Amino acid sequence: MIRSVLIANRGEIALRIVRAVRDLGLRAIAVYSEADKLAPHVLLADEAYEIGPPRASESYLSVDRLIEAAQVAQADAIHPGYGFLAERADFARAVEGAGIIFIGPTPETIAAMGDKTEARKRMAAAGVPIVPGITDPVSSASEALRASRILGFPVLLKAASGGGGKGMRVVDRPGELERFFAAATREAESAFGDGRIYVESYVDRPRHVEVQILADNYGNLVHLGERECSIQRRHQKLIEEAPSPLLTASERSDIGEVALTAARAVDYRGAGTVEFLHHNGNYYFLEMNTRLQVEHPVTELVTGIDLVEWQLRVASGEQLAFSQGDISLTGHAIECRITAEDPLAGFLPSTGTISHLEVPAGLGVRWDGGVLEGLEVSRHYDPLLGKLITHGPDRLSAIGRMTRALDELEVLGVKTSALFHRRVMEEKDFISGHISVAYIEEHQSILSPEVSEDCLVTAAVAAALMEDWHRSRHRTPRLNSENTGNRMSAWRNSG
Amino acid sequence: MTRYFVTIDDREFEVKVGTDRVSIDGQELEVSIESSGVSSVHSLLVGSRAHKILGDRSTNGEWSIHLDGLLVEAHVLDERTRAIRGMTQANARLQGPKPVVAPMPGMVLKVEVGEGDCVESGQGIIIVEAMKMENEVRAYSGGLVTRVHVKEGEAVEKGQILVDLGPLKASGAHDDTC
Repeated sequence: MIRSVLIANRGEIALRIVRAVRDLGLRAIAVYSEADKLAPHVLLADEAYEIGPPRASESYLSVDRLIEAAQVAQADAIHPGYGFLAERADFARAVEGAGIIFIGPTPETIAAMGDKTEARKRMAAAGVPIVPGITDPVSSASEALRASRILGFPVLLKAASGGGGKGMRVVDRPGELERFFAAATREAESAFGDGRIYVESYVDRPRHVEVQILADNYGNLVHLGERECSIQRRHQKLIEEAPSPLLTASERSDIGEVALTAARAVDYRGAGTVEFLHHNGNYYFLEMNTRLQVEHPVTELVTGIDLVEWQLRVASGEQLAFSQGDISLTGHAIECRITAEDPLAGFLPSTGTISHLEVPAGLGVRWDGGVLEGLEVSRHYDPLLGKLITHGPDRLSAIGRMTRALDELEVLGVKTSALFHRRVMEEKDFISGHISVAYIEEHQSILSPEVSEDCLVTAAVAAALMEDWHRSRHRTPRLNSENTGNRMSAWRNSG
Repeated sequence: MTRYFVTIDDREFEVKVGTDRVSIDGQELEVSIESSGVSSVHSLLVGSRAHKILGDRSTNGEWSIHLDGLLVEAHVLDERTRAIRGMTQANARLQGPKPVVAPMPGMVLKVEVGEGDCVESGQGIIIVEAMKMENEVRAYSGGLVTRVHVKEGEAVEKGQILVDLGPLKASGAHDDTC
């Protein structure tokens, strides 16, 4: 029985989990670093515990501090969210060792899938197709070069403990290998504490399709359809949707079956995702994420199943209340990741204090956010501010609702990716579903800093009028004041 | 009637604001704007087109404007201030390429150039880690590296000068092959 859950995370996903925990009438326990004292996951939890300084390594990544907080709070279970410690088998083991339920698969499953090279071996053995490449990490740039020459350029260097595009580099030419190998190793070392790298063939312009899995402790296993996550930048997903606009019904059931095979091969329990590259009608196992995904809401909207609720139920020892035949997909859902990055300046991270935030609402619109006005977006954590998700009876209506919702979203204080999403929503290849992981490279005009003449003129007029009003209000008062506020040019007084 | 000069991304607009009319670069517009005066939200009607505008003023006419999903930085000057600025700035025009500055706070992971190196416009200069990603900071323009201000492992603030660039050697010298 779980009566209380400590959420070992921050940002939008911590709030998402706080909500699910409270929906079930359980006690939600937040943890936070010194930088997150005012974060919404803290404000909306039932209890909150400070666990250390802003640096993640001394707070959200500190196994000891998290377990200590859970013990002080008498938490029955710990939900790791995604990122941070979510896919660290040693963390799951430490949690269980402390007599606390870990909401996720077993440490053995996490270890098997967390080591991408080990996972590739296990999948190949289970008959799941994998991307051609080596199945062991390389120890040096020269070894990577030898492997690459055998596979043929271009190749992809990947972190053995990788995920989220970190520690990953495409290498087109042998001459680039040494530099990229060093960069990938450094990035992997800092992101995962494990700098091991392996080499795969680079699949040209594939689509990224992944299947959501849900399993209980009694051998019941369902897949909840696929998500298309092809709109990526530097291997970071930006837009996800469910279902994929390009899969046929038979491909859907095939890939779903393969995903179930993959999950069975590692005795999976809880919610997990099997990622595939889809290319010319073939699909290859990429990796399995043994945790909740950032983009899980699109699956929730088309299946009507609350994935976090089911993670909690499975961890409590409940059986799945549905079988594969009960799962049906209704309509279409799209998610845009709203990040603190400037899309018109190469997605440069943008830091600052959120001075204004207005989130969209209305039918078919969901906002999973992790920020509030007054909150500082710092360089310590990833730049995801929130996820805007829309649902409609079909893909075009979901796009229409997303377009409208993006127009309503207002964030001031940091630059955001919203403008990028707004431009994608009206781009014809996206609308017709002609997308691949190379979408952004092939549609550079979306990132063009040019704005329409109309928009510039409107901004200039607004600036002049606002300045004029500002000056009339802040003018030094005369002795016999005649400007009592009603003489403003284009201004109409309201109220 | 007050004349304002509004600069957005190097473009200058002349906006005349009168008691009942507004014109931009000589073109008259039917415009009305409304605000509660409490928040930064403004309602702007241009003809019958409705816009929700968020306007934040920092100092001296620097406006941060959000409209139609776009964030615009606008600088508003009146006629007199503009004339004075024009005179004082005419002599102080910057010579040579711009220094390379940190676009965001972060930590210097790698310095890819040394003093005396020639760099091309767009060439990677320094790798800064921020938000768990490596970001390559590039030169805005080509030039000669005259000074490197930071070391690997050093924390930098947004806007901090990383590398100074000087003009390349005078044309005619045949070593401008960088």
